[in-house]
Formats: sequence, structure tokens, C-alpha cells
Amino acid sequence: MPDGTVWGALAEFRNPAALLEAARRVREAGYRHFDAHSPFPVHGLERAMGLKRSWVPLFVLVLGLGGAAGGMLLQWWVSAVEYPLVVSGKPFFSWPAFVPIMFECGVLGGALGALGGFLALSRLPRHHHPLFASAAFERMSDDRFFLSIEARDERFDRRSTVELLSGAGAAHVELLPLPGKEA
Amino acid sequence: MVAAGHGAREGVGITVREVSLPAGHPLLKACWIAGGLGVLALVAAFALGGLGPRFWASYWTAWLWGATVAVGGLFFVLLHHVTRAGWSVAVRRLAEHVAGTLPVLAVLAVPALLAAGELFPWIGGHGAGELGAAAHDPLLEHKEPFLNAGFFYLRSAFYLVAWSLLGWWFRRTSLRQDATGDPGLTRRLQTLSAPGLVVFGLTLSFAAFDWVMSLDPHWYSTIFGVYLFAGSTVSILALLILLGIVFERRGPLAGVVTPEHYHDLGKLLFGFVVFWAYIAFSQFMLIWYGNIPEETVWYAHRLEHGWKPVTLALALGHFVLPFFYLLSRDVKRRRPLIAGASVWLLLVHYLDLYWLVMPAVAADGAFAPHWLDLVTLVAVAGILLGAFGWLARRPALVPVADPRLPESLSFENM
Amino acid sequence: MAVADIPREPGAGVLPDVDPVERRPLLATGDPGFHGVTEAVSRPVEWKPPVGWYVALAVSLAMLGVFGVAIAWLMWEGVGIWGNQVPVAWGWPIVNFVFWVGIGHAGTLISAVLFLFRQRWRTGVNRAAEAMTLFAVACALTFPGIHTGRPWLDYWMLPVPNQMAMWPQFRSPLMWDVFAVSIYGLVSLLFWYLGLIPDLATIRDRAKSRVRQVAYGLFALGWRGSARHWLHYERAYLLLAGLATPLVLSVHSVVSFDFAVSQLPGWHTTIFPPYFVAGAIFSGLAMVITLMVVCRVAFRLEHLVTLLHFDRMAKLILTTGSLVGLAYATEFFIAWYSGNQFELFAFTNRATGPYAWAYWIMVSCNVLSPQVFWWKKARTSIPILFAVSIFVNIGMWFERFVIVITSQHRDFLPSMWDYFRPTFWDIATLLGSFGLFFTLFTLFVRFVPMVAMSEVKGVLPQAHGHGLGPFADEAMDPALDPDRGARHA
Repeated sequence: MPDGTVWGALAEFRNPAALLEAARRVREAGYRHFDAHSPFPVHGLERAMGLKRSWVPLFVLVLGLGGAAGGMLLQWWVSAVEYPLVVSGKPFFSWPAFVPIMFECGVLGGALGALGGFLALSRLPRHHHPLFASAAFERMSDDRFFLSIEARDERFDRRSTVELLSGAGAAHVELLPLPGKEA
Repeated sequence: MVAAGHGAREGVGITVREVSLPAGHPLLKACWIAGGLGVLALVAAFALGGLGPRFWASYWTAWLWGATVAVGGLFFVLLHHVTRAGWSVAVRRLAEHVAGTLPVLAVLAVPALLAAGELFPWIGGHGAGELGAAAHDPLLEHKEPFLNAGFFYLRSAFYLVAWSLLGWWFRRTSLRQDATGDPGLTRRLQTLSAPGLVVFGLTLSFAAFDWVMSLDPHWYSTIFGVYLFAGSTVSILALLILLGIVFERRGPLAGVVTPEHYHDLGKLLFGFVVFWAYIAFSQFMLIWYGNIPEETVWYAHRLEHGWKPVTLALALGHFVLPFFYLLSRDVKRRRPLIAGASVWLLLVHYLDLYWLVMPAVAADGAFAPHWLDLVTLVAVAGILLGAFGWLARRPALVPVADPRLPESLSFENM
Repeated sequence: MAVADIPREPGAGVLPDVDPVERRPLLATGDPGFHGVTEAVSRPVEWKPPVGWYVALAVSLAMLGVFGVAIAWLMWEGVGIWGNQVPVAWGWPIVNFVFWVGIGHAGTLISAVLFLFRQRWRTGVNRAAEAMTLFAVACALTFPGIHTGRPWLDYWMLPVPNQMAMWPQFRSPLMWDVFAVSIYGLVSLLFWYLGLIPDLATIRDRAKSRVRQVAYGLFALGWRGSARHWLHYERAYLLLAGLATPLVLSVHSVVSFDFAVSQLPGWHTTIFPPYFVAGAIFSGLAMVITLMVVCRVAFRLEHLVTLLHFDRMAKLILTTGSLVGLAYATEFFIAWYSGNQFELFAFTNRATGPYAWAYWIMVSCNVLSPQVFWWKKARTSIPILFAVSIFVNIGMWFERFVIVITSQHRDFLPSMWDYFRPTFWDIATLLGSFGLFFTLFTLFVRFVPMVAMSEVKGVLPQAHGHGLGPFADEAMDPALDPDRGARHA
């Protein structure tokens, strides 16, 4: 049950296998608002956590096709509608000559879709987060692996959650305060 | 059980018997039937086809289709070895058998080469197409040191012998490893695949010039060899997917060839479909843009005399449709879906060769399909399937002693 | 055991760490461990740089100064300061442009194409290679930027509505270049940046000063290594790699179209697109080798950028060099086969005419020198690698020189024939562009982690999620034993 002052629990693990096992246990215990943190993507972690597939490809497809269509549309409109000029005897809508730019615009759209989709779906940038209050968490980007369970999860309980994490082999468990509060 | 290594299991211990076809297996029977049908079709074509230019045009197109697929198999094997690939070990033996059919193709080429005068206008005499005898054509006179029957036969023999030898040696060495389990053989295969690729590159480029480009001897395009290579690679990837599925579902490769392999082959198939389109478009756009008559005449021909719809069908069928279809990850992993794409692409490859050859050799260059087109295609495809069956009837369908087999069996795609 | 009984471990789809044929580790030698990687790569960014870095920066800035002076003089006096003159109206500027764009392509090859082919060894070099791409593209873009005669009107090349109702002429390959190279730069930047985010977080988390924490933290976007974010990240990375691959093919093809859409003998030939792309990757890899030979020693990263990396890159150089050689042979053959006297003359003129000296430099550097890489000893010898990489870059510059200059200096009309000579300012501008490149690269190695830490960690043996338990100590991990592979014979 949600706790007034605590944002959640953070557990530190020494290696990826331990993190995987712990993630499995946490998911089996019925938690939903939890996350894992690692310096690199751990193979099999999304399965252990039960994460759904990412929607980034859809962003890429839509923006990519849109970019390509936009590129062709721009060229057609400029060359055949707005200011038609006869250049080296070619027709106004000289589509073979328009393919390169159409392709490039498509790739640009797709690339923006990939990065944009990633940022949007991850809700980044987010420069402030309760996790950064933990000194141990600095090693997240170095060589340690973490599991965090948020207090807003129904099953959260200061004691049993911490016990579950310790029992899963955490080297270190701590409770993190909500911003502006003491744990 | 604690994992012995990290993913790469040593000593998988598959026996040859587990992954080879027992005598009388339905798949082998299917190959014999296909072979028989092929021979029947071949006999019918020769008997009833009239042996005129139209017959040889059909025969040559069908033969080129078979040759480009088989030489694609050779390329796949060479590339696999030179890149030290692990994932493709599970399908490499199938490619080796495909490449092993090259000697059969060499034999099938003989009648066409003997009747080359019916196909190639520069071999004076029958004057196929509108060019007439070489003697009155200054361009053909200029090319005579290269485009003469004797040198042409020599070169053609060289390409076919080189490919057959390469295909034979790489298959035989791989089979030997099944028996001896010697990892040193892998090292030999790897070392020799690099010069093998050099030979492949040169011979395929010049074979493309000799066998297809010189059908229109006034025309030339430096990218032509690459174009044929692109189509050949698309075809072999499609064929390997089909063979993999067939031998997995109805043969002994269940659990060995998996959707992971179809996914990887499918990704490569997608990539090479795009590569083919890139090469085809480059050739077209540059010639269109430069607008030089001696070059544009080739494309102009393929946009007239009824060929325009075929050109559009080729662009649509060889690129646009497969591009969008193969984008999806799921399509590449589901057998019926990826098998459909493979069959489609193999057929479209025939259309590609038809589009390359026919406008140059058919009388007055008009688009006019003929029953011989179908019969010769059945003949070549059937005979090749029969040859494949004969090659595949005893050995293991997977290189059981390849040191990279464990990786091939256990890798996963994202 | 039957095929069906082969145990498939959950998450077993991992690639072997030891090459089963060669029996040697496939990645970094002497497992540094995760923290070792962090330390080795973060150190150059955090500590005071060695004196050599200041020297390199000073030299680079001096060359950049030359560039600045050359450009300033160009703006003042006009394009006449260069050697461009009828009949050779396209001279060194376009040669330099193609040269720099080509170099950039290897970075994308290593970053994107090798990623798609699951070549994990790329993780040691991809960050630096991608940075090289960005800087090479920046250098490349300066040339079309400054050569237009009235560079302050360059914005006319963009499709921006204006009071003159004027629009770009989209049928021109030079316009295609504007889009292709700019988009290539932008997409490369996005791809490079995406890969940087976790590493910037590492520097942020290690930062001892508030300034550094904010500077790196700002661009780290608040990255917290969340598994949910990694999921989207990996997908985006894969798709960007998938987009960057055809992009690489298309960009240098579009550059080749500059020449191939014309009607000049020696220029108008259909093989230009794939030939240029192969040549670009060829020259770019050579530049990567040149840079990494220096950087790995200067920053003590020999255990992360190993002889294995060089071995692989040398093989790729041999491959792409051979493709370039095949293209040369094809062009020469078809020039004869075509029966077109202008075409044939163009090629014989290259080999035997006034620029034969340039032609033979090109052939010996591009076709002959990489042949040493058939021998493994050459592929793993630092002096030979460095020497060949320099030769290849010289050869590839000369290839563009030969293509651009020879086809123009003697085309259809003999009365127009002339001999092109570069001027002092042509040379100064080229040298100055190296100043821009090296300045950017020198700053890069000081302020940005030069190796993709998170990616290297992800391919280390310890990264696999099995075989270790929650109570295993790293020191006891059998996976760290370098002899492990040999024992499992």
C-alpha cells in the first residue's frame, strides 16, 4: 500500500544473473510498479519482467513513410505546379530525378521517429528522479544492477518488500524518500 | 545444471543419421518426380519446340534462371566461410547442395551454347534480332576480338568449370568434415573462400556481359554484372528459406532450422531486395538522365512493343511489394508467410531474366509469351530439383561436425 | 542425443565468447570487467590530458587557422583564387568534398552495418568511428558551402518560401547532395548521440564537480538505466542502424550521381554508385585505422581496441579495395567493349596521358598496397597497418582527383584541352580542412568517452545472465578465466 514519505525501495545486485532472478521473483510476487536498472541492457530481463514489445517501430514507420511522401510531394509541387521549368528536356514531374531526395527525406523521418519515439515512450528527458537521491545508485552506470519497487504499488510494504529483495540476494537495500520528504 | 559455456555449447552430438534422409523418404521421392517431370519437359520442348530463335530464347532464359540460382548457392557458401558466420551453419549444407548442381547446369548449357548463333547477333549467320551479320557492322567489327564464337566458348567453359570446381570442392570438404570432425577443415574452407570470392566476382561479372549483355551487342552498362549478382543473391536466399522450411516441416531438420534462421535469411532477403532495386534504379536513372541514344535504346525497347506493363510488373513485384511485405518482423518468422514471399521472389527472378533476355532476342522484340517459356522453366527447375535430391540423398543435411554448429542452433534474434 | 533433446536454456541465445575454430577470445583481451571498462574509458575524460594532447590541439588549431585564412581570402577575393578554370571547372573543392564524405562512411559501416551483422567486436571502435563520420561530414559540407561564389546566398538551396517565388532545382544531383549529405550528418548525429546517452550518464554519475555533473547530466537526459527504457532504446538503436545502412549506400551513390548523370566519358557510367560506396568505405576504414593506432596508445586503450579489431578492419579494407579494383577493371574493359572512341580515349588518357602520374599513384595505393593484408602478419602489425592506411587515403584522394580532373581536362573537343594546376589556395584549403577534422577529433577524445562503454560491457562474458548466482563473487567467476575456452576442447 502506498506510503506517505517513501518513494520506494532500491536493491543493489552484483551481477546480471542475480538481477534476473530477483526480477522474476518480484514479478511472481505480483508487483507491477517496479523497474530494473543496469549499465547495459541485460539479455532476458524484459522477459523476466514481463515487459511488452516497444512501439518505437511504429513511430519509425509512420514518420518514415510520411517523410518520403512529403519529400516527393514537395518536389512534385515545386517542379510541376508552382514554378515549372524545363530542365534538360525532362518532363515537369521527372520522378526518377526525385527519387533520391524522396528517399533521404524518408530516412530522416524514420530517424527522427526512432529517436523521438524512444524519448517519448521513455518519458525522457527527466533530469530529476527520486532514484538519484541514492548514493549507491551512482554505480548503476558503472558495474552494479538495481531493482526498484515503487511505494505506489498495492503490494508495497516497508518490511515485506525489503525482505523480498534481500531474500533475492540483494547486496544492499534502501528506502528512498519522496522528493522533499524524509524516508 | 550450470551452463558449461556462455551460449556456445560444445559437442552438440547430432549424428549424421538423425539429420539425413532415409532411402524412400517422401522428399526424395518428390525430387525424383520433379526430376522426371523436368526431363519430360525438356524432351517435349526439344521435340516440339522447333529449335528456332524463339525456342532458344525460352531455353536460354530458363537456363539463366537455374544458373543464377545455383551460382547464388556458391556465393552463399563462400560468403559464409569468409565471414566466419555462425548463424548460417544450419542452412549451409543446403546451399552446398544447390551449388553442387552447377555441373548439371553446365551440361544443360551445352545445347544453347552450340546454338549460340540463334541467340547472339554477333555470331554471324542467322542474324537474330535486327542487327544482321557482323561483317557490315563497324561496332561489331571493333568488338570482334572479344565477341567471337571461339573466345566466347572458351570463356563460357571457364566460368562453368570454375564454378563447378568451386562448388564441388567446398561441398566435398564440408562433407569430409562430417566424417572426420576435423576443425582444420573449417580453417581450410575459410582460407580458400577469399580467393574463391575473387574468382566468383570476376567470373560472374564477365558471365553477365557474355551471356546476357551481349544479346544486345551495341549496348553496354558497367553495372550489369552487379545487377545479375543482386538478382542471384535474392534468389538463393529465397530458395534457402523454402528448402529450410520444407526440410524442417517434412524432413529431419526439425529443431535444427528454426524461425531464427528464417528471420535472419528474411532480413538478408529484405536487404538484397532493396539492393536489387538500388542497382536497377541506378542503372535506369543514369541512363534516363544522360539521355544518350546508344544507351537509352535498351530501356526504350522495354517500354514499347508491349513491354511496358512487364517493366512495371517487375518494379512492383521485385521491389515495392516485397519491400513492404518483408518489413514486418512477424512475417519473417512465420513459415507460411515467408515461404510465400520466397516462392514469389523466385518467380519474379524469372520475370527479371525474361525482361532482360526476350526483348533482345524475340522476333521484332515484342512481348509475346509462349508455351515454351513455361515448359523450359519446368524443365530446368525440375532437373535441378532432381539433381539436388540426388546430392542430398545420403549426406547429413546439416554439417554435424562444424565447430560453429552449436552457435547456429542456439542464437536468438532481437 | 536426438536433435529435439538439445537443451535450450532460457535466454540461451547468446553468441560464443571464444571463436570455436581459432580458440581465441572474440572480444577484449584480458577481461577488464565492467568497472575496468568504466575506468579505462572515463579516465581520459576526467583527468588532465597528457602533454601530447595539447600539442595535437595546437597543431590542429594552427591548421584550422590556415583553413580560416583560406576561407576568408576566398570570401574576399572570389573563386578565382583557386585553380578552377575552363575546361576543368570542377577542381579540388569537389575532389575534397567527395574525399571527406567518403571517409565518413566507414563510421556508419562500423556503427550500423556491423551491428546488424551482430559483429560484437565493433564495440571497441564504433564510438570513435561514428565521431569521425560526424567530423568528416562537417569537413565535407564546408566545400560545397564555400565554393558557390556568393556563399552568403547558400540558403537559396533550401526549399524555403521567399519573395522571389524561387525554388531549388530538384532535378540537379547537386541538390540531391544538399539533402543527402545534410541528412546523413543529421542521422549520424542522432545515432551517435543515442549511443552516447548511457555513457554520458556514466560520466555524470562519476562527476566530482557540479559543473561536470550538470554539463554531462544535461545531455544524459536523466538516463537511469531503466529496463523499460533499454527496451525502447534497443529498438530505436536497431532501427537507426537499419536506416543508416541504406543511407550510407544512398549518400555516396548520390555523390557519384554528380558525375554519372552527365555525359562525359569517364563520368557517365552506371557502375559509379556501388563503386563509389565501396571506395568510400575503403577510405573511411583506412582513416579509422590511422586514428585508432594513435588513440589507443595515447589513451592506453590497447586492451579494448585490440589487434583483433585491426585484423578485422584490415580484412574489410582488403575486401572493399578488391571491389574498387574490380570496378576499375570493369570500367576499363567496358570502355574498350563499348567501341566508343571517346570512352576509350578517356581511359587510355588516364593511364598514359599528362595525369598518368596521378593515375599510377592511385592504382598502386588502392589496388597494390592493400594486398599485403592477405597475410595475417601484416594485418596485425601496427606499422604496416598505419602505413597502408595512409597510402589508402592518399590513393583514394587521387582516385577522386583522377576521375574529376582527367575527364574534364580532355573531353570531346581537342581545342578545349588544357592542363589543370592547383593553386596555393587549393592546397591550403585542403590542408586546412584536415585542421578542422583534427581539431574536432582532438576535442572529442578529451571531452567525450571514446569507447562505447555500455556496449562493450554488454558484450563481455560477464554480461550474460546465467552461470552466475546472486552470491557469486566476480573474482570467483569461471567466466573470467581466459583459459576457459581452451579447456572445453
